[in-house]
Amino acid sequence: MNPHDTGVVTPDKATSNAARPATAAVDRAPAPSAGDDCHGNGTPAAPPCFRLETAGDGIATLVFDCPDSRANVLHRDNLLELEQHLAALAADTGTRGLILTSAKPSIFIAGADLRRLRDADAAEVDDLIGLGQRVFTLLQRLPFPTVAAIHGACAGGGFELALACRHRIASDHRSTKIGLPETGLGLIPGWGGSTRLPRLIGLAAAVPLVLKGSLLPAPVALRRGLVDQVVAPEHLADQARLLVTSAPRPRRTRLRARCLHLPGIRHLYHRLALRQLRQKTRGHYPAQEKALQVMVQGVGTSMRRSLELERSAFAGLLPLESTRHLTGLFFQREQAKRLTVADGKAAPVERVAVVGAGVMGAGIAYWLAARGLHVLLQDVADDPLAKALHGIRRQFDDAVRRRHLTATEAQRAFDRIAASSRPVPLHRFQAIIEAAPEDMEIKQRLYRELASRSAPGTLWCSNTSALPITQLAAAAPDPSRFVGLHFFNPVHRMPLIEIVPGGESSPDAVATAVGLVQTVGKLPVLARDKPGFLVNRVLMPYLMEAVRLFDQGHTATTIDHAMLDFGMPMGPLRLLDEVGLDVALHVGETLAPAFDHFPPAPLLLREMIDEGLLGRKNGRGFYLHQPASGWMAGLAALALPSRRGQPRPNPAAARLAGGRGDRLPVPADGIAGYLAGLLEEEAARCLREGIADNAGAIDFAMVAGTGYPPFRGGPLARAGLRDQPRTTNQ
Amino acid sequence: MKPPVTPTPAPRDRPALVVVDGLRTPFCRFNTALADLSAVDLARACGSALLLRQGIDPAVIDEVVFGCVSQPADSANPARVAALRCGVPVQVPAATVQRNCASGLEALFTAHQRLLSGHGEVFLVGGMESMSQVPLLVSAAGRLRFQQLAAARTPWARLAALAAFRPGQLAPVIGLKLGLSDPVSGLNMGETAELLAREFGITRADQDAFALRSHQRAWQHREHHAGEITPVFVTTGAKPSAPVTDDNGIRPDADLESLGKLRPAFDRRGGGSVTPGNSSQITDGAAALLVAGEEAARRHGWPVLARVTGYAVTGCDPARMGLGPVRAIAAACRRTALKPDDADVIEINEAFAAQVLAVCKALADPAAARMAGLDQPLGDIDPARLNQRGGAIALGHPVGATGARLILSAARQLRHTGGRRALVSACVGGGQGVALWLENPAAGRPDPDKSIQDPEPSS
Repeated sequence: MNPHDTGVVTPDKATSNAARPATAAVDRAPAPSAGDDCHGNGTPAAPPCFRLETAGDGIATLVFDCPDSRANVLHRDNLLELEQHLAALAADTGTRGLILTSAKPSIFIAGADLRRLRDADAAEVDDLIGLGQRVFTLLQRLPFPTVAAIHGACAGGGFELALACRHRIASDHRSTKIGLPETGLGLIPGWGGSTRLPRLIGLAAAVPLVLKGSLLPAPVALRRGLVDQVVAPEHLADQARLLVTSAPRPRRTRLRARCLHLPGIRHLYHRLALRQLRQKTRGHYPAQEKALQVMVQGVGTSMRRSLELERSAFAGLLPLESTRHLTGLFFQREQAKRLTVADGKAAPVERVAVVGAGVMGAGIAYWLAARGLHVLLQDVADDPLAKALHGIRRQFDDAVRRRHLTATEAQRAFDRIAASSRPVPLHRFQAIIEAAPEDMEIKQRLYRELASRSAPGTLWCSNTSALPITQLAAAAPDPSRFVGLHFFNPVHRMPLIEIVPGGESSPDAVATAVGLVQTVGKLPVLARDKPGFLVNRVLMPYLMEAVRLFDQGHTATTIDHAMLDFGMPMGPLRLLDEVGLDVALHVGETLAPAFDHFPPAPLLLREMIDEGLLGRKNGRGFYLHQPASGWMAGLAALALPSRRGQPRPNPAAARLAGGRGDRLPVPADGIAGYLAGLLEEEAARCLREGIADNAGAIDFAMVAGTGYPPFRGGPLARAGLRDQPRTTNQ
Repeated sequence: MKPPVTPTPAPRDRPALVVVDGLRTPFCRFNTALADLSAVDLARACGSALLLRQGIDPAVIDEVVFGCVSQPADSANPARVAALRCGVPVQVPAATVQRNCASGLEALFTAHQRLLSGHGEVFLVGGMESMSQVPLLVSAAGRLRFQQLAAARTPWARLAALAAFRPGQLAPVIGLKLGLSDPVSGLNMGETAELLAREFGITRADQDAFALRSHQRAWQHREHHAGEITPVFVTTGAKPSAPVTDDNGIRPDADLESLGKLRPAFDRRGGGSVTPGNSSQITDGAAALLVAGEEAARRHGWPVLARVTGYAVTGCDPARMGLGPVRAIAAACRRTALKPDDADVIEINEAFAAQVLAVCKALADPAAARMAGLDQPLGDIDPARLNQRGGAIALGHPVGATGARLILSAARQLRHTGGRRALVSACVGGGQGVALWLENPAAGRPDPDKSIQDPEPSS
């Protein structure tokens, strides 16, 4: 029997040589061995994750450093290890203070180990929650000052650990991001986060943070009271030590904030907050509601009781379908961030020429420049460039207003964009992204013209949404260096980019494109070169049928509200307005002949375009879009503040509709099911045709690319065509 | 008095400086199309367009040198700020130079001297000026009051400090007006021109005719100018504004009658002859040149637009600053053993029509030459060769940028016409003059398409 299998290290053993890491000899229960909750089945000792360092002044430092990993994550083994350290420190009379810190360069603690959590069964998870709560309570009750010295990501369980410390000090480094993102996974902060955060900063401040799951940069975290002090990374260790020795009184919630915690008042707050939440989520996201409930009830009861509430809420959420989908999507997203191409070597890309200064070209140029690349924006004339640059400037202004960038960063990023209508040499640009009008001949002519100005190794990309990549590539100087790179509109809001290798694309070219997408912080999905690629193809029957339903007499609001209730961020007709009816029709007409099962694009769409109804771009489509400024708009907004920004259905569109086909073959209450079914059908066809690697990728692309309701996991998950991730009760 | 310069033609073993390429922004009257851009914005616009057009790696630049007269308060060393904003890497240094109206030329002289002393081979030089954005200032008395107000700690002291202000102390001092005045002679630039008009007998009619010729030539050759202009995109407005692509000071509709109607601006007592119509315009603009040692240009495979063969900077009476070119041309001619007649292209900056005409007279007429400090006249300036494509009266005079524009324009005119040599000169506020000789390596082979042709990518 392994001598280390007891799972317990006596405190005196741990402290006898403080510099020596305690050997927490905990077995790693192989998850599939069901129901086994145990100690001592003979697996080798897990390597230690905590290093205890003590100085002569009695201040101990626990350094979190998961071996063989980029990130620090909390799991059963290292929680037990932490518990032993804390118990030993509590018993040691010589200790005067404790600093918790991380040895990783850009991560404090990324949270709980989600992979293990996913594979664990219900009893194991419940145990884990109990263990975490116990360890953090132990930390909170230590008889000396405790300080979390936070540098790098401090999320979920990591922040819950920091919350259990008496003080929190953070570095102002860019990588320092603090928050509780659990609700995004369909869970709630279960290791005391839902209990301690409202007690620290007040219900009114804590609730939005937990419901949104936002991760805050250090200065904002300081303003909101999540941390007590923010210092330069180089000063973090010293200042943490100073905080321990000076031991100021811990931060207390402002009296005004605590008024909200009074009985009656907090219940009223609960009702109001719940109503607001449901307006946004339409009741599809139980985790947010649970989190709200636990926090509200928690502030009115004892710590112990509040932790129990957390634990039972967590257990209640875990088996939910939506939780499984949200967690699954999280892993899909992580996978996309790390996507690599077999046999492909990515070349670095620092300078990109974007050819075509339309809406897409400008959007791409903005995003690349904001993410640190040097961009040349090319067009054939100065006027479109002037318009594009003006739009980009406004976007930077907006980013500054939203505090995504400082004014200085925005200016520098804007200066990274050069615009020219002259045929300047392109050989210094490692990638060319073409965003010219969707016309095969124009694009091919353009490639031939650009070829004489570019270097041989350049990566060529087309932002086409419908034209075949292989055919486009034929006009490029080197088809093996050509790929489709499909950005979605608006570029700065849509996280997904479809990468479409052509018939001759080399693995290196695809890898370079994937690398480029990842460096600029977007999520790549590989799609096969068939008309519409993946997202547009799945979306198109859905959009076209929505138009047909409208034509058959359903109102725009009926159709759009049905899909909003389904969980879509925007109804199909509103989406068509945003895309532009002419653009949508063009895509529809390109796709219809390509697939036998696609019906021709609805006549109504053509008629609307002929009537000059183009969508948001000219203010009239299925809806009337008011101009955003002007005194008339201001007056209207004053009169109807609730309708602000909400477009009204366009009566002209309704007049054009009707008279074709049956009246209302789909009843109003069947719209959502019917339209959602179309998405599923087409997604299933894409899966069969191998448009994407697997069902997970298709679902992920639909969620990231169209806002398909994440809690449903994706169209294939809803259709039951996904390999079910192992359920918790296996 | 004999100037202490001796004829020293540049020896063959000294590295020669060549102009590879250049671009400028449109020159726009102040408070018009470019008013929202700072001098640095303008320099960034033409500098980055130039680097882009050449397709060079900015890391090969050894130093960036730009001239700027009224340096923006928010950019100490505007050349450095402009360089970084053009995408020049941080390890490349930058310096701002100031020789008033010759600052753009001074940038090139600096590059040449760095080359000669072995401090680099490739330079991005030029000039920038936003005369729209020359700040309003607070008078000395007002400044004291503001400082007292800032130092006041208690509300009572603050109130007292506020009460101490007198209305006159709040009146702004116009920086542009100060910049265009010479504190030594006590005259503003227009008054120095009036002085030359009186002393050299330059009539109002001569001045107006000269100004008219400037507008006519500039208009006639606007295609040629377009070849050296890069469009500027102004993005500050609430609505998208059209790209700025053309100089906006040229008046194709100007005639002697309309010019004759303008009232003298500097001597209003009667008899004054210098009007806004026959003076240079107050303008925003910037120009950039890529210059290099001849050897470095060859190594990089760059084309050579013009070679610098010699130059001189000299001083003169600040009250007659307009005569600056006379001595400077004489000195530059001695150094190169050339005479004005050897130049196929002559550019004398048109600060004022009266001043250019006085310079021409001083170079041609023995009595006038003596007045200007020359023993002998150097020879006639052929009016046909002088400012053939218009000058600052039509195009405008953004003080820091003009020098660089003159070099670019002269070099391109040589290339265009196939001429051999160009003489570039300018008077400098405060009593100086500069002159520069350029040589066309492709002399005798006119290249009329140079104005519209873009360079081939060098692979």
